[in-house]
Amino acid sequence: MQSDPPASLPEPTPTPVPAIRARGLTKVYTRGRAETVRALRGLDLECRPGEIYGLLGPNGAGKTTTLRILSTILRPTAGTAEVAGVDVGADPLEARRRIGFLSGTTGLYPRLTGRETLTYFGRLNGFSGGELEARVEAMIAAFDMAAFADRRCGALSTGQRQRVSIARAVLHGPEVLILDEPTTGLDILAAGTMIDFVESRREAGTCVLFSTHVLSEAERLCDRIGVLFDGRLLASGTYDELARATGERWLEDIFRTLVRTGTDG
Amino acid sequence: MRIPLWRATLLVAMKELRTGSRDRQTVVYAVVLPLCLYPLVLWCLLQGSLFVQGRAERTEVQVGLAAEAPDELPPGLVLALMGPRAAGDETDGPLSVAAAPGGMTADEARAWFERGGRNAPAGLDAVLWIPARGAPGAAGARMFFDATSERSKLARDRLTPRLAAFARELRLGELEGRGLAPDALVPFGIEVADVAAPRDLLGTALSLVLPMLLVMMSVMGAFFPAVDLTAGEKERHSAETTLLLPVPRLAVHQGKILAVCLSAMIATTLNLLALGLSIGHLLEIIGGDAGPKLHEFPFLSLVAVSPLAVLFAFFVSAVLTGVASLTRSFKEGQALLGPVQMGFLIPALTGLIPGLRLTLPLACVPVVNVVLAFRAILQGEHLPAEYAVCALSLLLYGLLATRLAVFVLSRENAQFERISLRKLPSLLRSPSHAK
Repeated sequence: MQSDPPASLPEPTPTPVPAIRARGLTKVYTRGRAETVRALRGLDLECRPGEIYGLLGPNGAGKTTTLRILSTILRPTAGTAEVAGVDVGADPLEARRRIGFLSGTTGLYPRLTGRETLTYFGRLNGFSGGELEARVEAMIAAFDMAAFADRRCGALSTGQRQRVSIARAVLHGPEVLILDEPTTGLDILAAGTMIDFVESRREAGTCVLFSTHVLSEAERLCDRIGVLFDGRLLASGTYDELARATGERWLEDIFRTLVRTGTDG
Repeated sequence: MRIPLWRATLLVAMKELRTGSRDRQTVVYAVVLPLCLYPLVLWCLLQGSLFVQGRAERTEVQVGLAAEAPDELPPGLVLALMGPRAAGDETDGPLSVAAAPGGMTADEARAWFERGGRNAPAGLDAVLWIPARGAPGAAGARMFFDATSERSKLARDRLTPRLAAFARELRLGELEGRGLAPDALVPFGIEVADVAAPRDLLGTALSLVLPMLLVMMSVMGAFFPAVDLTAGEKERHSAETTLLLPVPRLAVHQGKILAVCLSAMIATTLNLLALGLSIGHLLEIIGGDAGPKLHEFPFLSLVAVSPLAVLFAFFVSAVLTGVASLTRSFKEGQALLGPVQMGFLIPALTGLIPGLRLTLPLACVPVVNVVLAFRAILQGEHLPAEYAVCALSLLLYGLLATRLAVFVLSRENAQFERISLRKLPSLLRSPSHAK
């Protein structure tokens, strides 16, 4: 994949409203008769169009739950969430059409080829005929997939699968990209491909919300960073704002200070 | 642009069928096995029976001949027993006779047989004892054999018709000697005529086994796709990808059930086709000129059971898909669907119960209804009300099972956890995915 944003990628339509807005988002998992887990406790979050927002937090902080709710995979127990002005609870179908979601657990269909995968998602997005074909070919060209587009996804290397996954997520030109730990499990080259892709989306005006454990990624890519802990957003702002608020210089220290404050508080 | 629900359902089903056709297990159970099962089984049966028959024909049995008064034995008896019978007789085969040493009572002859025939060149397979002529209380010849020995039964089967033929020859000779006609002692003859057409006979024979096989094939055809599209998808980490499809979740779930149903129908159709051709051909081979012909095979009956077979495949698919969606891996899915599979196959055994007929109440009992309806159709019975109730109840059960399957597939718990029996209540409380 090229590091520059490919010209043939479909561009999102800018929206005047926040790209992502969550208010009082709460999620309680029920396991068995008595066991309940509060994954989110009234989370408020807002991301602007064209912004790259990084969600940081330790394991179990609620990052994946937040992203899954925003992408309509899960339903919130309470609160509301909007993606590109669409309420994910009221019109999840329209919300899904406006987002591109990618995570370590969104695998490809191993018995379909890359081209078939893109065609399938394109058809379900309402494209057909020449338009569909043109979009699929544009994706194959943009992500340099021509050499393996007709091989089954199950037989592709991790890096090749990653490219097909990204192409699948952006085929329909989503206004919002939600990426859940997108570089986890990838080697340096594949992770680099992903980072280049996220940077390219900023220039294309797409809002990217992504969670990560890798602080250097957040430091390099994010316009703003939110620190999530125990289902609550402890802080949100630019790197400089967070540094000022905590009195720390490095993101690792900023993160630790915020989490310590959250634990004490 | 949003696409209609029905088109989304079809697109999902077609994609699932395409991926299923690339799965070896699914292809084996939905295509290869239904096509090859009957030709293979029938070929093995034919070869096996030819082998057994050939071996039996070559086996020489030894019969001991004992008499109360050896001097009174009818001349020619030994030759008649040893001589071959009419060509084509399945009981035909070599038989040697060993004479008993001296006269014997019936009990002594039996003891001689049980001892293995002392003085006989090999062990005896049966003993024929002839009483003295005019002896008080003489009840005719007796044959001793051992029903637990295949050789002894073979000796009995060869001896009986040869002895009867010899007795008939003696009787005819006696009548001729007295100047009487051969049929003087027969007041009237009996001729038994079967008016059943070969086509009906085939239908009746098929009605015993086919219903259960149809149930078995439907279940087998749906089994692997049901596990593959639910638990298999979770195992391959593509379940979350499916949840992101920009179509209503109902379309996704319906598409999966439709794909499973189509797979079951393909298996059933191929099975019927293979069954028709292989059994028809086999009957033509073994029936000879007098037997049923391939064109007499009740193909129309097979077509007539198709609508019910389709409804049954729909019902089976919805049940198996719903149950399989409770599991998280292929292994778990197979383990859970095993008992469910038995839940279909055991009621299907009712098709083997003689005399049990399709009634209106039975037409409402799932599985039993379809088995009895298949049987009735193959036997050419006209029960329009019962067939209609059977079809309606299958449709109703299918829709109900689909509703349940969609309910289970829509639960968040079913997507991200393994649902054991203990956790079923939590499944009911679990929220559904967004639509």
